[in-house]
Amino acid sequence: MRLLTHNMLSSNIKGVTSGFPLRIEVEKVVQKEVEFNADFLRNMFAKIEWSALVEASKTMGYSELPDSAESSMLDSDEFLHRFHHALLELHLEEGALICPETGRKFPVNKGIPNMLLHEDEV
Amino acid sequence: MTKSDLGGAHVIQNGPTCAYGSKSPHSPVLFSSPFRSEAAGRRSLLVRSLKSPRTFAIEEIQAFSATIASFKFLRDFCNMKEDGIDISSGSSVTPEEKLPVLPPITAKSGPVCLSSKVQATPEIEKKYVHHVYDAIAPHFSSTRFAKWPKVQGFLNSLPTGSLILDAGCGNGKYLGLNPNCYFVGCDISSALISICADKGHEVLVADAVNLPYRTGYGDASISIAVLHHLSTESRRKKAVEELIRVVKTGGLVLITVWAREQEDKSLVNKWTPLTQKYLEEWIGPGSPRIRSPSSISLESIPEMEENSSEEQSKEGSATRNGDDPLDESRSEEGIRKNQQEYFVPWHLPYHRAEISGASADAVASGFARKDDKKGAVVYDRYYHVFSEGELERLVSGMDGAVIVDKFYDKSNWCVILEKTS
Repeated sequence: MRLLTHNMLSSNIKGVTSGFPLRIEVEKVVQKEVEFNADFLRNMFAKIEWSALVEASKTMGYSELPDSAESSMLDSDEFLHRFHHALLELHLEEGALICPETGRKFPVNKGIPNMLLHEDEV
Repeated sequence: MTKSDLGGAHVIQNGPTCAYGSKSPHSPVLFSSPFRSEAAGRRSLLVRSLKSPRTFAIEEIQAFSATIASFKFLRDFCNMKEDGIDISSGSSVTPEEKLPVLPPITAKSGPVCLSSKVQATPEIEKKYVHHVYDAIAPHFSSTRFAKWPKVQGFLNSLPTGSLILDAGCGNGKYLGLNPNCYFVGCDISSALISICADKGHEVLVADAVNLPYRTGYGDASISIAVLHHLSTESRRKKAVEELIRVVKTGGLVLITVWAREQEDKSLVNKWTPLTQKYLEEWIGPGSPRIRSPSSISLESIPEMEENSSEEQSKEGSATRNGDDPLDESRSEEGIRKNQQEYFVPWHLPYHRAEISGASADAVASGFARKDDKKGAVVYDRYYHVFSEGELERLVSGMDGAVIVDKFYDKSNWCVILEKTS
């Protein structure tokens, strides 16, 4: 699971009002190279919840992102590359995503989060 | 005040039911006239529904919306009895006269419990969709490689750098199809998702009826041959709402579903229409309708638990053109003409079946059958095929999205929506 996906995921358990961001429990992180696409990064920047990305990135072992960011930073190649790395190249292979409200763990195995709810959570 | 003084109004039954009929001329008219004028069959149906509303499909509950006022009255009536007030005479009744309080089925509490039930997976989908795809995943994936031009065209038309969400991505056929865009796929089948992940796609296991995505994040979403596996109109509607919710304002949604109107009509003959004999499979939370939702009326709700053969003849008026899919005395063609609920077979060759191992269990438990002639294990997949205009009707009532294109292509009905707010 990439942090791009993590930034989009929210706990949808019945009754939960703030299910984002999910906390990350790390067991195994893998880095995989991804082709750089500035257009995509610029498009994504507008959607990203920045502090959630920074926090998640640190949990995954990468602390090179600034604590806050604004769109003017997108002109900086260095910033773009750090953003790219955090967003697309860090993979949670094994671990869990934790609902911030209920503590419920959604397992991540072989890089795949399982977000299916049990019947009583629906 | 004795029981008999209250007239025949108190048909106290076991369980949380309530009196609904009155034999005494002195009792007030307790219910609105449509209620009182119904046939006995329907009345007992209503009592049963009051007893255990959860055993009825969402459609049945929705169909009762015309008489929600009656239910409310019923509930209030029972509550009044609970308080010991006899509404016919104004004097108190003894505690033994208390009637149990109905489980509330009112419009007020409706939407809340309806939405949570919509997301619970009905048995028919567990058995004939989820279970089947998990069992056939590798074989299924090996046959799913041809890219449908219409979908390809849609994906390639999206701006560079778009984030595209594929809900019900299956084996990931369309993930990454536009190299300038980024795709995130999800499917309810872990087996299929594993296949996607092996190809390097960004995927997760999730339910299309309840996407775990923040609102408005995606630039576009697609649902290719997914909605026809959802067994109730409410679930299909919810899935469309989810597809719209997860894209940004101005974002596009492409939906394709199998058409009842197949180009190759002989194909339909290989499908098993869900008729009376499969009804037992359906009874349970969220059982699907047999006929298309547009023909639902109070009169058409079938008696599922008793006297079903008697009731069948009363249902004739419910379907279009007077055909009744439940009436097996009609011709096969007559059944198929308006039929939309089918089991579509999947032949899993024996050598493939042995790999998963799950097939032996499936055959043993009756989920699948062996076809020695074809050397395959045969699984049935549940489909609600869409009739012409049905997909449009499904989406046109929705707030916040408009249809920007609709077409029929290769035996599929398709729409493209744009999120407006």
